[in-house]
Amino acid sequence: MDKLRRILFWIIVGATAIFLLVPTLIIVPMSFTTTAALEFPPVGFTLDWYAKVLGAPDWQAALVNSLMVAIATAIFATVIGTAAALALHAHEFRGKAIILGLLLSPMVTPLIVLAVGMYMVFAGWGLVATRLGLVFAHTVLAVPFVVVSVLASAKMMNQSLVPASLGLGASRWFTFRRVTLPLIMPGVLSGAVFAFITSWDEIVVSMFLADIQTRTVPIMIWQQVRTNLDPATAAVAAILIFISATGVVLSYKIREARS
Amino acid sequence: MTVSTNDRDVPTKARTSRTLRLPPAFWLVVPAVLFLAFFFVYPLLKLVAISLPGGSIEYYQQIYTTPVFLRVIGETFRVSLLVTVVTVAIAYPYAYAMAHSGKTTLLVLTMALLIPFWVSLLLRSFSWIVLLQNSGLVNDLLISLGIINKPLRLIRTPLGVIIGMTHVLLPYAVLPLYSVMKKIDLKLMEASAICGASWLKGFIRVYFPLSVPGVMAAAILVFTLSLGFYITPALLGSPRDMMISQMIAGQFNEQLNFGLGSALAVTLMLLTAIAFGLFGAARALFQKRAHLAGGA
Repeated sequence: MDKLRRILFWIIVGATAIFLLVPTLIIVPMSFTTTAALEFPPVGFTLDWYAKVLGAPDWQAALVNSLMVAIATAIFATVIGTAAALALHAHEFRGKAIILGLLLSPMVTPLIVLAVGMYMVFAGWGLVATRLGLVFAHTVLAVPFVVVSVLASAKMMNQSLVPASLGLGASRWFTFRRVTLPLIMPGVLSGAVFAFITSWDEIVVSMFLADIQTRTVPIMIWQQVRTNLDPATAAVAAILIFISATGVVLSYKIREARS
Repeated sequence: MTVSTNDRDVPTKARTSRTLRLPPAFWLVVPAVLFLAFFFVYPLLKLVAISLPGGSIEYYQQIYTTPVFLRVIGETFRVSLLVTVVTVAIAYPYAYAMAHSGKTTLLVLTMALLIPFWVSLLLRSFSWIVLLQNSGLVNDLLISLGIINKPLRLIRTPLGVIIGMTHVLLPYAVLPLYSVMKKIDLKLMEASAICGASWLKGFIRVYFPLSVPGVMAAAILVFTLSLGFYITPALLGSPRDMMISQMIAGQFNEQLNFGLGSALAVTLMLLTAIAFGLFGAARALFQKRAHLAGGA
């Protein structure tokens, strides 16, 4: 009875682990299939779908849009998010909880609500169908991740170093550049990676703000998935995953190297 | 590692008292706050304004008197509730295994939990379409096992939506459960066995009650996140069982009824805020209780 329960328990846990992993792991192999229909397990091996996608002008344009918007978002969100996190970390002031709440709330707001709200406002500001509009929208979504990540590494920092530097006569700017920034760098960099991936994968808000010229890769995938499923879509998905995975590995390496 | 905790306040206080001004670093929060005020808070307020033209609540009245809107809101609750129950039920044994086994098992289970996190929701929904379609892996497997003899319709059904959403939300349920369960001492179960209780009785009377804070946290978090799902139901569900997010998108994209769409969006925003408020309240309550128990 006891043994039976144990076996049953591990079957359930193992099945859950497979359930978690399978959808993620099938995408890349699917992109190598030689069949015209998208299926798993794949049949044969070909790189034709990658060639097809990378050679198509509309996919190329989307890839360029995605990269430009994600890089700009990563830079912008990291700068304002890091500054805000440092101010929140260094000071106690009234309303601090409210400001922190504001900075984190885009994380829990339903995306569709943000999408339609931004659409209405951005239309009036001439930001719809522009890359700048996408950068602003993605930055809203990315700032919370940067703030959380930088706050966490600021908390781990030896708190007496900044007063020591100031006490020895260094200016605030010098202290920031030579003491604070090197110490919080792992948090800043992983915040930047998070911000990049947030933008890179974003679809709901982008769908409302982009047009045919400014559409990003996820929007192209969305349109493909709704019309016809072909292995080219899996090839693009594999490229998206590859870039995200590079980012994740990079952020782990940064953390390892620093600690 | 950390030598002292309060030193950083010293220069702040000294300066504040000398110049009665906040030191420069404080102003670093301003760009982010201004940015979010313009690009995040203002759009949300704009929706509220559009939904109340001239202070009239006609759009809200329309929502609460039109059967189709009420059905979509009801459907959203129904799907969210089902997803919550299924997700927490699957997450419970998984979190238990993570909390009470060796290092290697913990590592493997954590990896399985976090790898999907790094693949976007859109791509995972796409993957589920391939797996669940009539000629997909799931149907092939069920047929070759002899469980069914013709393919089951899995996509464009509520079942497809529930599978896809459960997959996305599982980590959000496992993590709070795990953090509560790893603090539960398994010796309590041994003690109950020594006292003559069966495993089941020990579990129901000893282990489960101790894990309830984790169950509550996981359930409210999953439910709240479920309410706003858009991509997964749009790709895996049928338009007949649409959720409130799809309804909102439709009002803006197809019906071009911005007032009604805004009213629906504000409704979703409020429902989410209430659910998150409950989440905070439940956590505060359990923390207080844990604190009291620790003090006793």
